[in-house]
Amino acid sequence: MADRRDRLGVDSEPIWELRGVSKAFPGVQALDQVSLTLRLGEVHALVGENGSGKSTLVKCLAGVHEPDGGDLIHQGDFVRLRDPLAARDHGVATFHQEFSLVPSLSVAENVCLGRLPARGPMIDWNAARDEARRAFAELEVNVDPDAPVGVLSVADQQFVELAKAISQEMSLLILDEPTAALGPAEVERLHRIIARTARQGRAILYISHRLDEVLSVADRVTVLKDGRLVATRDVAEVTIDDVIRLMVGADLDEHFPDRVAPGGPARVEVRDLWSDGGARGASFEIARGEILGLAGIAGSGRTAIARALFGADRVHSGELRIDDQVVRARTPRAAIAAGIGLIPEDRKAHGLFFNLAGPENITIIDLAQLLRGPVLRLSEERTRSRQLVEKLRIAGNVMDGSVQYLSGGNQQKVVLARWLFAKARLLILDEPTQGVDVSSKLEIYHLINELSGAGLALVLISSDFAELLAMSDRIAVVRDGRIVHTAPRGSLSEHDLVEMAAGGNAA
Amino acid sequence: MTAQVASMGSSLGRRALRSRWIGPLLVMLSVATLMALTTDRFLHPRNLANVSLQMAIVAIVAIGATIVILTAQIDLSSGSLVALVTVLTAGVIKNVGLPVPTALALMLLLGALLGLVNGFFSTYGRIPPFIFTLGTLSIFRGLAFLYTGGTPIFSVSPQLNRVFYARLPLLEIPMPFVYVLVLYSGAALYLRSTKGGRQIYAVGGNAAAARLSGINVNRVRTKAFVIAGVTGALGGILMTARLDSGSPNYAQGMELMAIAAAVIGGASLFGGTGSVAGTLFGAMTIVIVQNGLNLHGVAAAWQSISLGAIIAAAVAVDMWRSELGSVPRRLAAGLRGRARPGAGPAETRDAAGPAGDPDSLVTKER
Repeated sequence: MADRRDRLGVDSEPIWELRGVSKAFPGVQALDQVSLTLRLGEVHALVGENGSGKSTLVKCLAGVHEPDGGDLIHQGDFVRLRDPLAARDHGVATFHQEFSLVPSLSVAENVCLGRLPARGPMIDWNAARDEARRAFAELEVNVDPDAPVGVLSVADQQFVELAKAISQEMSLLILDEPTAALGPAEVERLHRIIARTARQGRAILYISHRLDEVLSVADRVTVLKDGRLVATRDVAEVTIDDVIRLMVGADLDEHFPDRVAPGGPARVEVRDLWSDGGARGASFEIARGEILGLAGIAGSGRTAIARALFGADRVHSGELRIDDQVVRARTPRAAIAAGIGLIPEDRKAHGLFFNLAGPENITIIDLAQLLRGPVLRLSEERTRSRQLVEKLRIAGNVMDGSVQYLSGGNQQKVVLARWLFAKARLLILDEPTQGVDVSSKLEIYHLINELSGAGLALVLISSDFAELLAMSDRIAVVRDGRIVHTAPRGSLSEHDLVEMAAGGNAA
Repeated sequence: MTAQVASMGSSLGRRALRSRWIGPLLVMLSVATLMALTTDRFLHPRNLANVSLQMAIVAIVAIGATIVILTAQIDLSSGSLVALVTVLTAGVIKNVGLPVPTALALMLLLGALLGLVNGFFSTYGRIPPFIFTLGTLSIFRGLAFLYTGGTPIFSVSPQLNRVFYARLPLLEIPMPFVYVLVLYSGAALYLRSTKGGRQIYAVGGNAAAARLSGINVNRVRTKAFVIAGVTGALGGILMTARLDSGSPNYAQGMELMAIAAAVIGGASLFGGTGSVAGTLFGAMTIVIVQNGLNLHGVAAAWQSISLGAIIAAAVAVDMWRSELGSVPRRLAAGLRGRARPGAGPAETRDAAGPAGDPDSLVTKER
């Protein structure tokens, strides 16, 4: 807190001012007369549900989009940012939500991409490496500047992306969902770096779905809704509930729905699971209707365990039993046949078919249900899909349009609808609410509860520990590909989880 | 009631837009209109019949090309496969003396087998299909030369000849029409209403998601090549029947015409989008253009050049399709830009916008 007041003390002239900035896309007024100021030394958070216009605003400042109306004012001068280069020349550095890294190039090349240091006509590789090393030192991480980016873990790639942003000369650092792939310890470290960067006299624009993070790192918070500015507040004056109210425009009594833990015999038993992907002797049980939360930092093996259960990675040894039957799922196909479902972490890359509409996306998992002889009953497909769309309250043109045009929350509901259609017995949810707006999150929580009520065994993987604690009946802490601790809900705090999950690293 | 009808209509409209055959249909009609206006010989019944017969073989080979493209692969070997099948069909009937039905069944089997070779090596063997079928393009035609020693086989069989030139009893419809109709209906039904067809779209749209949805991606991709092998063999059989001969020099460049038909017909080379209905209009477009140039007495060299230009244009449209969709918006942005002092050209600034960046806010934020 003292730290925050120090920074507010800087309270300088605004470095950037947006006045009535608007931007329209076909059928969408993405930004509508948004005005805000960014000051040196200040961390300014931008929050809002999916579709509220956050990314558009960021892209206007990063020179990706040019506003249709309104003004961008940099240190008192009206400026136009026609392309990302122009934005960089005005001291804007951006960390993008989607990586902008080239997998085949080295870490150093990526960090210095577009401005590789030169000596005469030749690239000065040593200078590039030094620059990358300096940036990593500042980020307190150790990444080999010569490694190709493609071989790094997602978390490390995120740090390379960060290094790329902070290694430039800049007066404004934009961070768009910088913690999406990070574990709690890494988030904490990132926040320290952000605070320090701000103290060094830079403006920071921080975009995140995780409101607790926003409130812990930002000085001021601006809430967008449907492209319009709802409010800008000092963080010291607001609570998470206040911010949520501003975002959704209505009271949200509960952040998470209540859960009653079910009891009963184990429905799923996993014994000593080893896999190519990084499961190293994981064992656990899940009862009917139970939600087992897997907690761990990025790279701890949570996703590897999920992939091994689903047959997506090669399993060396171990046993999986569902309803007392041994299940050997060597491929996702076999896993699905055995009643195992997976909601993948990256729903765009691994979940959805953007060339298809909602019904096709839902039924693809079990087309056999629709067959009459060799022919798919397309009207049956529409009827059953419409039922699921209504049950899950999926909004948008789901029945006929590409799922590409749905919001993140609705896309995730389409993926969930699959496993209601296929009637899974064990469902693994890998970061099910990542990149999902607050009200869709709540609906997804209710859906998860409903699935549990229907007797499914559920595995929940989430980097959002508050979510994990609220939604899981038991928490299993994962480190190095195995379960190091299991505890019922209520006996653990978020703080405990952060400590336990990071245990290996802190030593 | 009316609202219901209207919503049904708009739903059909949306589906037509999505399967992208309206555009190809309009292109085909405008090309045909152009030809009809510039030469009165185009609409002559004899010429129309000739155009249709010309189209039949390409159209059938293009079914296979479409299905391979739908799975985000490419088959460059289909023209050579057609040539190989013409010499083998002619050979087994004339030189070996096999009965025609046996010979044809054998050829279909061979087509499936050669398709399997293409499919196996480019999926399980992980050789990019572009490269592997470039190899078989050369190999299949080489085998055709090897078999005949370079000389065509003429006067194959009157019975085989009738396979192409016979007409449907009573209705008097030329058989090639019937083949095209049956095969296209079958392919459309397969793609739209069977598990296998749905899996083809899924694999082409997102292979990683398809795998996690329990689809055997390699098998689906291989199957697409097998289908292409069979349609290639059908094309080869019909060509032998039509010309009553087989030659290693037949069907030069047919693979490109088949691919062009698919792409003009709205199939995306990125996979997952397209329909056989569109491909049929694409094949018609190509043949009408060729026929029109013939009627206008354009030299063969220029015909070849114009076919190349059409293919390039079709692929360009595929690559730029999303950007072309945003032209009205860009024009609007440009006008607004000009109204403001100091605003520059609007073309460059949207380059990284929704068109260039598939994950940009249009998909992300809404």
